[in-house]
Amino acid sequence: MEARESGGRGQDRGRKKQYKKKFLFRKKKFCKFCDEKIKFIDYKDLRLLQAFTPERAKIFPRRISGTCSKHQRKLMQAIKRARILALLPFTSD
Amino acid sequence: MLQYETVFIADSAYTDEEIDELIKGYEQVVASAKGKMIKIEKWGKRRLAYAIRRSEEGVYVLMTIECPPSLVKELDRRYRMNDRILRHLVVRVENEAQLGPSPMMKPRPEREDLLAEPALAP
Repeated sequence: MEARESGGRGQDRGRKKQYKKKFLFRKKKFCKFCDEKIKFIDYKDLRLLQAFTPERAKIFPRRISGTCSKHQRKLMQAIKRARILALLPFTSD
Repeated sequence: MLQYETVFIADSAYTDEEIDELIKGYEQVVASAKGKMIKIEKWGKRRLAYAIRRSEEGVYVLMTIECPPSLVKELDRRYRMNDRILRHLVVRVENEAQLGPSPMMKPRPEREDLLAEPALAP
């Protein structure tokens, strides 16, 4: 009886550890612009901007893309300029 | 003297000569304000991402200029006066990269692939 109990507890502990490990080894997000040392984001660089305006042409949020606030601000400015010039859509259905 | 970058979208009905004339006109305006043209890029006819005044296409022209700040207002006014200009934008040059050829002038590798493929297919 006693042995069984302790065994059960041991299993539980093991599972907890596994879960923690999984969480720890999730790929860490990073800012693409910091990584490539990009200082200036051009509103004319459509290919770059399109990568950050997927599907519905909305600006890819920071919490998902991992872009740092500094670069997200610059990216936003560039995307908005491109939209004014009809290089990028405001929306797409 | 500050550096500015300006892009305007002209009506797609403009012919190449008319575009050249238009650019010449702006060159004169810049020269009269003792400014200097740094670069002119004609991107040609492009499809607009959304319709502007029922136009689906427009002719894009980029000009990089060095001029006193007062010219920006004048340029803006002139753009507005011409009702065949669909859209315009004047911004400060923030980075030296903007003085060189813009990404628009680089041939897009994807498009080259598209052009190359049909030739290979048959």
